Amino acid sequence: MYLPDFDYQSPGSLKEACQILAAFGSRARVLAGGTDLMIKMKHGLLAPDVLVSLKNISQLAGIGYVQGRGVVIGARATHNDLVNSPVLQKKYLSVCEAAHHMANNQIRNVGTVGGNIVNAVPSADLPPILIALNAAVKLVGADGERELPLESFFTGPNRSVIGTDEILSEIVIPDQTSTGSTYMKFGLRRSGALAVVGVAVAVTVAGGVLKEAKIALGAVSPTPMRAVKAEELIRGRAVTDELLEEAGVCAAGECSPISDIRGSKEYRQDMVRVFTRRALRRAINEGHV
Amino acid sequence: MNENYSVIGKSVPKMDGRVKVTGQAKYTGDLKFPNMLVGKILTSPHAHARIISIDTSKAEKLPGVKAVITHRDVPSLKYGISPARWDENIFCIDKVRFVGDKVAAVAALDEETVYRALKLIRVEYEVLPAVFDPVEAIREGAPRIHDEYPMNINTEIHQNFGDVEKAFAEAHHVRTDLFMGQRTYQCPIEPHSAISIWEGGKLTVYSSTQSPHYHQYYIAREFGLKMGDVRVIKTFVGGGFGGKLEPTGLEFAGAALSRITGRPVKMFYDRHEMFAHNRGRHRQIMEVTTGVDKNGKILGLHANFIMDGGAYTSLGIASAYYAGAMLTLTYDFENYKFDMIRAYTNLPACGAQRGHGAPQPRYALEAHLDMVARDLGIDPLELRLRNARQPNTITPNEFKVNSCELTACIEKARELSGWKQKKGNLPSGRGIGLAVGSFVSGAGYPIYRTNLPQAAAIIKVHEDGSAATLYTGATDIGQGSDTVLCQMAAEAMGYFYENMKIVSADTETTPHDFGAYASRQTLMSGSAVKQAGEEVKQQLLEMAGEMMELPPGELDCREGIVFSKYSPEATRTFAEVAREFFVQKGPLVGRGSYTPPKLGGKFKGAPVGTSPAYSFAAQISEVEIDGETGQIDVKEVWDVHDCGMVINPALLRGQVHGALFMGMGESVWEEVVFDKNGRILNGNLGEYRMPTAVDMPKITSELVESYEPAAPWGVKEVGEGATIPTMGCFSNAIYDAMGVRVYSLPLSYEKVWRALKEKKEMESGLKSAAGRIYDKC
Repeated sequence: MYLPDFDYQSPGSLKEACQILAAFGSRARVLAGGTDLMIKMKHGLLAPDVLVSLKNISQLAGIGYVQGRGVVIGARATHNDLVNSPVLQKKYLSVCEAAHHMANNQIRNVGTVGGNIVNAVPSADLPPILIALNAAVKLVGADGERELPLESFFTGPNRSVIGTDEILSEIVIPDQTSTGSTYMKFGLRRSGALAVVGVAVAVTVAGGVLKEAKIALGAVSPTPMRAVKAEELIRGRAVTDELLEEAGVCAAGECSPISDIRGSKEYRQDMVRVFTRRALRRAINEGHV
Repeated sequence: MNENYSVIGKSVPKMDGRVKVTGQAKYTGDLKFPNMLVGKILTSPHAHARIISIDTSKAEKLPGVKAVITHRDVPSLKYGISPARWDENIFCIDKVRFVGDKVAAVAALDEETVYRALKLIRVEYEVLPAVFDPVEAIREGAPRIHDEYPMNINTEIHQNFGDVEKAFAEAHHVRTDLFMGQRTYQCPIEPHSAISIWEGGKLTVYSSTQSPHYHQYYIAREFGLKMGDVRVIKTFVGGGFGGKLEPTGLEFAGAALSRITGRPVKMFYDRHEMFAHNRGRHRQIMEVTTGVDKNGKILGLHANFIMDGGAYTSLGIASAYYAGAMLTLTYDFENYKFDMIRAYTNLPACGAQRGHGAPQPRYALEAHLDMVARDLGIDPLELRLRNARQPNTITPNEFKVNSCELTACIEKARELSGWKQKKGNLPSGRGIGLAVGSFVSGAGYPIYRTNLPQAAAIIKVHEDGSAATLYTGATDIGQGSDTVLCQMAAEAMGYFYENMKIVSADTETTPHDFGAYASRQTLMSGSAVKQAGEEVKQQLLEMAGEMMELPPGELDCREGIVFSKYSPEATRTFAEVAREFFVQKGPLVGRGSYTPPKLGGKFKGAPVGTSPAYSFAAQISEVEIDGETGQIDVKEVWDVHDCGMVINPALLRGQVHGALFMGMGESVWEEVVFDKNGRILNGNLGEYRMPTAVDMPKITSELVESYEPAAPWGVKEVGEGATIPTMGCFSNAIYDAMGVRVYSLPLSYEKVWRALKEKKEMESGLKSAAGRIYDKC
């Protein structure tokens, strides 16, 4: 448990940061909140030669609404920045709530939304709700930038499409037609617990009919995943308790959880059933919560 | 509170509250000495392996490394905290027996170099088959962990009091249940740490310890030093809960490294190493059989247990005896049989954790008795009342119980919790459960055989009488013994708490005391302190008598004022009399010591569980279960204690809250988990889930009127007693809520979910079977 030696760079611009990353390749790592990186380094799981800190890149901070784009979240926003953001509280309280149920207050003060995404941990709490809300991520590299749906960002546990010279700069939640969204986390204690199962939904309801539904699951497959069959099953149908239970059963069948020290495969699948139904009911009844 | 007292019975501020809150308190890890080196222990990556060779040459050559040691450099004398089974070496000689067993150690200029050096030590192992389950370990053909212990049997107990077979034969109802415990770990917030300084022929050790005395004794023995040449000093300690009672290996390795290098050596465990060193709660497999008459009166009890001891004995012999011995305390029955095997396995060694061997068996018995009550159609609380032990009785295993207000505890808990209104009337998913417990107020006998008194104290009044210092070996590890003992000293002297100073837990400056374990200090150390205080007062009154020209027998002293009992206008201050004493006679000093009366029977293992006094408690909890997820939401807990006279009510409640916190964690969340090779999977505070502040329920901590005749001012223990009923209490509340019994700890959400699922499947199976029968009709 001793932090190994490394060089530390804190560039003032994204461009400069990307150039450093390009120069060092896999020998460099980006340092945002460090809540995961520092622990991995102390345990000898990672030993980068260079840490590129994002702390002097001011454009990565802040959360605001941009006409024509939606809610733009700087990648360096901490979880508590999300929790306390007036814009998010007004438009998508569901995102604030998801951030609020992560880890513990100390971690929420330091850990960042960008780090939570780039780490690509299957049980991460923010990706499901952001995917349900159709969020996109912007990746800035030495040779330009690209924007892609968050849903297509992840490729496996701790793996994503991000290049070694790229930095995730912002997350964009586009304007919604959805009428409600929520994230339900099932952890094994009230604070400081990873999700055994996380279920996010976004629904569009009109006249008692589910016009559209998006269901995103965490901790039950190698990457956050959509339960597309369950979405199809309920699309265009009148909301009933039976329908929502059917959606839960369907989503449980779609996911592929593993058994680990936090829960068995069988338990996780059944929790997907329960929380898909509950999340749908909550989003339908209560809006973006 | 009792107005006969002016200092005790009050929630005075904690002695060390200010320095701890402001961060000024120095723990061992905070201390620095000139030229101090940092040391670290290399541990085994294998659960069971023969050591073929150890090559330290590369590590020795690393710049900054000052010493690398293995078993070749230290005494090969085996040690352990239990004299009957010394089975540990400072470093493994021939074999390693669990992942984390100690193999070598390094001292270097800084932490970074130490870690680098550890990686450079080459150890060649021949991996041996390992065994991780105590039942498998005692089977024919299992890998033998210690040559000296065939069948891996570390401790075997067969006790038989009265005639259990006859009691069962005559019983109206006999029931057997099987329960499984789990491994838990104390998780004190402060990691173990020790700084060893070997200068000339003298060794000084600053340590995060629960017992400077046992450390001193075993360190002196190991290195062939005189006790007087080993000084162990306790610093501030961030909790122990049983895990810091015995030498941790850091003291031994540190002493050897300091002797070789001639420099102070600081050693510590990180969080994962703490889990690997362990000495936490034993996992027990518990079969409980009870015979009762038709009114639910217990006629006989048979406890048949196996415990997983891990690779070494630690305090495990005592744990094994405690497991059965303590079951007889709460209920009045004559026939009792206790069988136990403590098996060695290739896992970290288990020892004493808050409540010692008792909480898991208590869970088994209390859950079992609820099932018995259900079988008989009796309210489980009523069943406890019918069997509750009464004062001035003797248990079948010959423990003498003086004060005992268990009945009053149960009745008060019933009233506070609204048991009568709630039982059977709560909405679906809500349940209420009860369990009781009892614990020793200090063990009747020390851990190794000696006729030293249990505790001793000296009080020195300062020259001008403006302060008095209590010197005691009692060990404050956060529970507040420094505060409580100063209250007791001031009360006995007729002095002020605010003017008390304390020097405690330093084997060179303070008189002998065995330390903080078995909930002993308020009673035992308190007895010595009271005697010392009374001796000061006696001398003071004699001096005052001369000054006031009154017979000393006519005088008393209270709150710093010496006064005549007959003419209240005649007074002197404590300070002026004390000053005069010093001028005329030299230092005003009082001394005290405490040795308990001879306790217990003559049978094998009879001393374990003896105590001058026993606390009693009843706990009721109310829970809400999510029927779909198995999630347990603890709504409220009521703890009612008989702990005798209370010296400091605020500290007492702190102990109840803390004990309940640990008990709750063990009930629902906590378990140390291993992979198939014996490596810990959750040796961190993220995945070893202790409850957090937001998980804690509303707690009502109440007392019943009680006075213990065998104790100073009638005190008894509280620190461990409140952990004991908790697991059974939750098991019973869950059963009340959902009608399912989880037979293994922890009572996790998934286990409750599974039990509910199985119940549903069985009911629907029964229904469909019934449907088929109906079809045929």
